[in-house]
Amino acid sequence: MHNLLLLLMLLGWLDQPIIRNNEPNPVYRVGDNPAWATKNYADGDWSPHRGNTADRIFWSRTQLDLREVKKELLPLGLQIESFGAFEVYWDGVLIGKNGQVPNNGKLEIPGTENSYYPIPDSLTKAGPHTVALRSSQSFLPGVQRSIGFGIYNYAAMISRPLVTMSYMNIMAGAFLTAALYYFFLYLNSSRRQADILVFSTICLLFFATLVMEYLKFHVVIPYSQFFIRLEIIGWLTFANALLVPWYFIIQFNFRKGTWLMSILLLSLLLLYVINYRHYDLTARLYSLAMLVAAFIVVAKGTMQREKGGFIVLAGLLSSALVNNYIVYDYGLFISFTIIVLCMLYLHSIRTSFIEAEHQNAVVLSSRLKLELLKKNIQPHFLRNTLTSMMDWVEESPKEGSRFIQALAAEFDIMNEISEMTLIPIGKELELCRQHLSVMGFRKEINYSFETINIDEAQLIPPAIIHTLLENGITHSAPLPGNTVKFILLYTLTKEMHSYIFQTIAENQQHLSNRTGGNGFKYIRARLTESYGANWAFDSSATGKGWQSTIQIYRR
Amino acid sequence: MNILIIEDEARIARRLHRMTVQFFGNKPAEVTICDSLKKGLDHIAGHVPNLLLLDLNLNGDNGFEVLEQMVAAPFHTIIVSANIDKAITAFAYGVLDFVPKPFNEDRLFQAFTRFINPAVKSNEGIKYLAVKTAGQVRLISIDDVVYIKGAGIYTELHLKNGKQELHDKSMELLQQLMPDGFERIHKSYLVNLGQVEKILVNPGSRYSMLLKTGEVLPVGRSKYKELKNRTA
Repeated sequence: MHNLLLLLMLLGWLDQPIIRNNEPNPVYRVGDNPAWATKNYADGDWSPHRGNTADRIFWSRTQLDLREVKKELLPLGLQIESFGAFEVYWDGVLIGKNGQVPNNGKLEIPGTENSYYPIPDSLTKAGPHTVALRSSQSFLPGVQRSIGFGIYNYAAMISRPLVTMSYMNIMAGAFLTAALYYFFLYLNSSRRQADILVFSTICLLFFATLVMEYLKFHVVIPYSQFFIRLEIIGWLTFANALLVPWYFIIQFNFRKGTWLMSILLLSLLLLYVINYRHYDLTARLYSLAMLVAAFIVVAKGTMQREKGGFIVLAGLLSSALVNNYIVYDYGLFISFTIIVLCMLYLHSIRTSFIEAEHQNAVVLSSRLKLELLKKNIQPHFLRNTLTSMMDWVEESPKEGSRFIQALAAEFDIMNEISEMTLIPIGKELELCRQHLSVMGFRKEINYSFETINIDEAQLIPPAIIHTLLENGITHSAPLPGNTVKFILLYTLTKEMHSYIFQTIAENQQHLSNRTGGNGFKYIRARLTESYGANWAFDSSATGKGWQSTIQIYRR
Repeated sequence: MNILIIEDEARIARRLHRMTVQFFGNKPAEVTICDSLKKGLDHIAGHVPNLLLLDLNLNGDNGFEVLEQMVAAPFHTIIVSANIDKAITAFAYGVLDFVPKPFNEDRLFQAFTRFINPAVKSNEGIKYLAVKTAGQVRLISIDDVVYIKGAGIYTELHLKNGKQELHDKSMELLQQLMPDGFERIHKSYLVNLGQVEKILVNPGSRYSMLLKTGEVLPVGRSKYKELKNRTA
């Protein structure tokens, strides 16, 4: 907001230029003559073009028409944006130098592109004035750049870059902090998420862009090196124009991301080639391409009802408006700041979402742990087992003690696995066998359990086969011969691990329909806990009894 | 005497059977075991038992529906269950006893004793009487009952709102279930003492009871003395 105010202030101030003629046009002449500095020298035959001056000395003369200036604005200063080394003559008076023109066989010392000179108060009357430059452009002699002039209050002119820079540095500092913070966050996160790294890089690149943009205010860059900085800014903008849409592609789960990124990359390269050396224009077009790509992604995301879509869409729109209506230098930074704010907002949404998800996972895990422990102490299991046990002890103490041992063994395994989220299938089968042994004493049915093709090393969530077994026992009546048979078949394919659990028995008739109940809920929750969405579970009656299938997809 | 055991665990069913036969050993008792609720209900439809020993998973989907059906039926039900936290509710519905698993002989015999000996009352707070009308079971609050009138193998429940409901249980079975506030004043009447206005003495040593509802019920001669002693 401050930047915007500052900007409007500056724009307002610039609106009333002291130079009245809109585009002062310099005229040139190769050669060297001190008389060419005088205010009223007749330069009618001079050329409007400099031509290639090689390492020769040339003069330029420009008429500036000053308006009446209030006393408060004095002293005035002259700003010159020009390549080369030169001496500046204001109405014939030498007011300053930029670099050093070749002199007595010494080579040129290049000046800097932007320089400031105080104008003597006595020479600031309203009316025409002449700026004569005794120049050379030994470096980059072929580069034709017009000469830019500005006249302002000298003190304001000198301090203005500092004021601008102080605001821009606040922004740059914020971006640097964000870049570092998110980079450390990425490094120290157990799940290294690409979007965090992308965001950190964007912040860092933008910090670098800001530093490069305003480097001109604190480092004197010889005009011969002028384009290096622009080239660097160009490539930084290029990189960000790629990264910003990429970030949104990740955040909004944009499906054709690769396509969009390829098209964007091609467009950016094309823009670079077509507008080669038109640095400001290129940067503007880059950010336009970036906005278009980001807009496509965010609009799609909004349609997919991704969280934060609307806000980011609004942010992009306002960013585009700013980019369009405000001078490039500031416009780019303000529009970019808006985009980064959008990203931060998205990130905070995402973080809180992940936090909630994590909380849920923790709660789910502890709930499942409890549920597993409860299996053996819930009254229906425990009290029925104890009742049978009483009977066995009373009738046949020897069998009774075997029964007690089987129960103890089942408890031991339960205890062992209760803290785990995945256990070897071998352990699970051991648990199942102990359970069958206990249930055999209770129900006095001949249970058998056959396993086919089991890979003992495979891991599965604890007690899910056990749960299927419990269901099979509860809901089955024995076949003639008093038998109930269970079969567990494992198959491994390229796509998945699959466990098929069959109960071969008579299905019990029930008063109400079987809905699967808590046992199935437990199995589903356990599968989700360990495999996310990469599983399938199905359970239904068959001609021979019941069949349940668990499929775990391999990634 | 017909006794039905509904219990899906073979070992426990045999235990119940053994103890039942042992308790009723000197009486001719026919004990049947059904290993699922469905089979049990089918059996009851054909042979109404005198006593039902029911293993009911009251935490299951329709545990209480089945319980309502059973307590509305013309026989006593003893629940033998692992869901001991549901005992109070089961008593409120009007089961004769709730035997928690695991049980031993003493506890089961205590329940049987209550069954064969009407003098031993249940103190466990029955709150409702379940009546079956047109296949639907409805629960009637005990507090709404003014008096119960025996009508052969059925009973009529006379309610505060003036309505009457038929109950499938006999006077004797209901009397075993009803709480202390209900008193047998006549071979055909069981009255909620809270609803009594006063006892009337009529000429010829005939006694009757005026209820708050304005109804007058006969009082048996022996019952009068009992009541008089109680109130004196």
